[in-house]
Amino acid sequence: MLVKDPKKEFYDKIQHQRVLILVTFDVDALCACNILQYLFQCDQVLYTVVPVTGKQDLENSFLENSEGIKHILMLNCGATIDIIELLQPDDDVCFYICDSHRPVDVHNVYNGVQVKLLMKDEEMRDIPDYDDVFRDDEDDESDAESNDEGEQLSKRKRYSDEYILKRRERRQWEENRNKTLFEYTQFSSFGSSAALLMFEIAWRMSKDTNDLVWLGIIGVTDQLVHYRISREKYIEDVMTLQSHVSRHNFKEGPENNQPINSLKISFEDELQLTLYRHWSLFESICKSVTTACKFKVWSMKGRKRLHEFLAEMGLPLIQCQQKYSAMEPSLRNNVKELIQKHIEKYGFAPEDIVIPSFNAQYGYRNKLCASDVVLACCALLESPQEKSQNATDSFFQAMDILNRKNTKEMEEALNMAKKQIGALASQVQTFLDMQQVMSAGPFLYAFVQEGTLEAKCLSKPQCLQRLARFTLEAYSAERRSKKTQYLPLVLGVPLDAEQQTSLVIGIPPLNLDDERKNFFGKAFEQAAVTTNSRTLHNYFDNYILQMNTEDRGKFFDALINLLQVSLSLSLSLSLSLSAFICASP
Amino acid sequence: MLASKAFELIKELSRGNSGSLSPYNEDCIRQVLDEMKSLYEQNQKDVSDTVAGETGLFSGVQVRHAALERNKRCLLTYLYKRLQIIQEMRWEFGSVLPMDIRYNMCEQEISWFNRYNKMLAVYMRSIGDSGLDLTQDMQPPKSLYIEVRCLKDHGEFETQDGNIIVLKRNNQHFLLRSECEHLIRQGVLEHVTN
Amino acid sequence: MNSLNQQSFNDSNVDYDEDSEEEAEALTAAEVFAKLEEAWLNEKFSPELLEAKTEIVECIMDQIKVMEENLLKCKKDDMKICIHKMELDRIRFVLSSYLRIRLQKIQNYTAYYLNIENQRTDKQASLFSPEELKFAKEFHSSIDKHLTELAMQHMPSILQNLNDNLSGNKPDLDCYVFLRVNEDTDSVVIDEETTETGEETVDFQKDEQHIIRYQPIRHLVSSSQLTLI
Repeated sequence: MLVKDPKKEFYDKIQHQRVLILVTFDVDALCACNILQYLFQCDQVLYTVVPVTGKQDLENSFLENSEGIKHILMLNCGATIDIIELLQPDDDVCFYICDSHRPVDVHNVYNGVQVKLLMKDEEMRDIPDYDDVFRDDEDDESDAESNDEGEQLSKRKRYSDEYILKRRERRQWEENRNKTLFEYTQFSSFGSSAALLMFEIAWRMSKDTNDLVWLGIIGVTDQLVHYRISREKYIEDVMTLQSHVSRHNFKEGPENNQPINSLKISFEDELQLTLYRHWSLFESICKSVTTACKFKVWSMKGRKRLHEFLAEMGLPLIQCQQKYSAMEPSLRNNVKELIQKHIEKYGFAPEDIVIPSFNAQYGYRNKLCASDVVLACCALLESPQEKSQNATDSFFQAMDILNRKNTKEMEEALNMAKKQIGALASQVQTFLDMQQVMSAGPFLYAFVQEGTLEAKCLSKPQCLQRLARFTLEAYSAERRSKKTQYLPLVLGVPLDAEQQTSLVIGIPPLNLDDERKNFFGKAFEQAAVTTNSRTLHNYFDNYILQMNTEDRGKFFDALINLLQVSLSLSLSLSLSLSAFICASP
Repeated sequence: MLASKAFELIKELSRGNSGSLSPYNEDCIRQVLDEMKSLYEQNQKDVSDTVAGETGLFSGVQVRHAALERNKRCLLTYLYKRLQIIQEMRWEFGSVLPMDIRYNMCEQEISWFNRYNKMLAVYMRSIGDSGLDLTQDMQPPKSLYIEVRCLKDHGEFETQDGNIIVLKRNNQHFLLRSECEHLIRQGVLEHVTN
Repeated sequence: MNSLNQQSFNDSNVDYDEDSEEEAEALTAAEVFAKLEEAWLNEKFSPELLEAKTEIVECIMDQIKVMEENLLKCKKDDMKICIHKMELDRIRFVLSSYLRIRLQKIQNYTAYYLNIENQRTDKQASLFSPEELKFAKEFHSSIDKHLTELAMQHMPSILQNLNDNLSGNKPDLDCYVFLRVNEDTDSVVIDEETTETGEETVDFQKDEQHIIRYQPIRHLVSSSQLTLI
């Protein structure tokens, strides 16, 4: 059930109770968790935070930690699965779900007692009506039917007009139900950031601080960086946050009367160059998705064009290859204006290169933009692990750097992020050089070669997401033909050499960018079922799965078949596919 | 050299870093005692010789006696200092010592530890009417509840209000400070400060 | 919030007789706590064991009990509870810390203090509380036994006495301490007359702060004319 008044229905309910918080491995969830921890510490609500990697982990963590706990909060997990069915909790356990994954499972939506959804009202419009998906008389009917079986008398009844009518009506309803459900679940997408929602709860209770705003900002930025929300939605959220930012950072009287180590957030148009404040300008341009693809930096010609561009701006190459912080101040201070002024000539739209964003500053040295924090945090979350380490080790390391006092750790994390992005860019280069991006007809696919150095740090869901997107954009920039704009991409990366598993992701075509809807979840599920492939749909993002590498062939054949049908009919999945899927259980 | 073994014991003490206990050096102690014995016998012999009329032995006796005194002092220091370390451990780890420390203690030290435990318990029980656990409240309290992170799998833990919490590596909890103070000192939990 | 405070504090206007004189003096809880705090600070900064403040400890223990009981009576979601619990934790910390420091001193110089205790005349107040005395004796004998078992009994017979070893250990009374003056005291001798220099004296005025060698002013600490800080 959707929570209308978070204070009354959520926050007041958990006062003086123990709360179990289950958090997934993404930056948004981390931020939301941090905000919650702050709130709970204010009000002395006892809690336990448990990080969960996937559905299996969710089940295990629930079993281990749920003893005596009546209130369970889920951050960025759980909405898309029927939580009561999966976890089989006691009747008095209540789940509060704050998850940006969509679509929300209908069972969760209509369970009024045990499941409370902390989501924005206006995002829940397209949920099917209760009557369309649930039917109260379901049970009696099947009961009646089975009873009928033995009795001769009722045999007549079965053929009576009334009964036939009822049967037909029922069949129609079922058909309709399947259709509605399919339409509802065919695309996976994302709603508002969990961190933003948590921040708004804090704000409504007048417990918001500047630090909490910053966490909200990072959450929203994470959604943008990982292509979860469209630019429009992002800007909408940023505007909401901006009013909070200006409220908290309003200074009366002369400036600089705030202590230097307090957090100052400022709203700015930010260059969309990855980590450029912590890198050299040149490196950053080569490794940012948009600039790398527009300049095609992987080709000689592209490099030349990039040099040309830098020359035109009057930035000496030597300065650009210098650490940004060591650039000559007169040049450095003008970089943004120069780039904005000259880049249009090279086929960029203004919104390709700048985006409204936020900067945080505290102390003399530490200036960070929101996407820097996201990338650093993400790099820590998904850092390659040694055998002895537990996946959860990195979770709290990542959580620690959200605390702004840990500046040293932050710097290390930024270096890790650079390494990760370097690996990403060089993998894209390999794909293009070796022409490893292939067309399977209805979609493109590519596989990271086994045994490469990069494979190890790329085999993480969030990173894979960015790699897939980078690859797709680079490929479509390389091929002039418009057709590539309409093709989705499936990308695989080896996960475990011993167990022969790989991680596979599907992302939608570029032309559907505005919607950020991904249909691969259903398609993967279907392809796996029809081919009996050994797959594991463990992630909360259903368009990412683990599969046995040997089954790749047949899985892809099925996927091609499935998508071919849909491709011929206007690209989004069609009803014929829907019939196909509904036919199977 | 006279009393060099005893000096070794002292060096061993000063080498040991805080928070650990070096193995009880029974071998060395026996050697020191043996040395004392032979020194003493030599002295006795010389003294009786002197009484018998021999001269020139007196300075030898004095040196040996000084060595005896030194040996005794070193030996006692060694034993006493170890007891002090064990004492500190009692406050650090509580009434049950970790195996690796127990392993380095000799039999008598273990029984002394148990006796110390007992007298401490008797004392703490006798404060006021109801007794007071002095090993609690070691740090000035800042807040009622603190945030802690689990460093190792510890298993179930029952809180004062009767709830059971599973302490598993890499979970984070918000708990009553007084409850987890012991666990923090044992290294099961880590206090997260922010 | 005040009501609970008042209530718990007034409930427990315990009779508290100072300096074991006959006149029973009623103190409020806040005053007892101030006394404990003073005793705690003195104990913390003085190099030697000070006189046991048995009455204060008992009084505070009762106080804690009363407060705990009062807390149980209150509703769970009360804002006051947190504050009172916190208060309770703080009191308990000061008390524990006070007793811990004393115990530490006793353990370090057991023989020295036991000697003092043995030579004490009935007129002098004991350094120990009865419980502490019991602990000290037990502690001393346990150490004795341990050392005898492991070393002494294996030594030649003329070396088998412990006295000079353990009792040689005594606190450093010549260390310097910070102090604040509680009441005016004139001409305190801080350096005894030697052949070269004359006697050196200092006049203490209320609220002054000094750094001074402990030995000459130790009697002023025990008569609470000074507080160590």
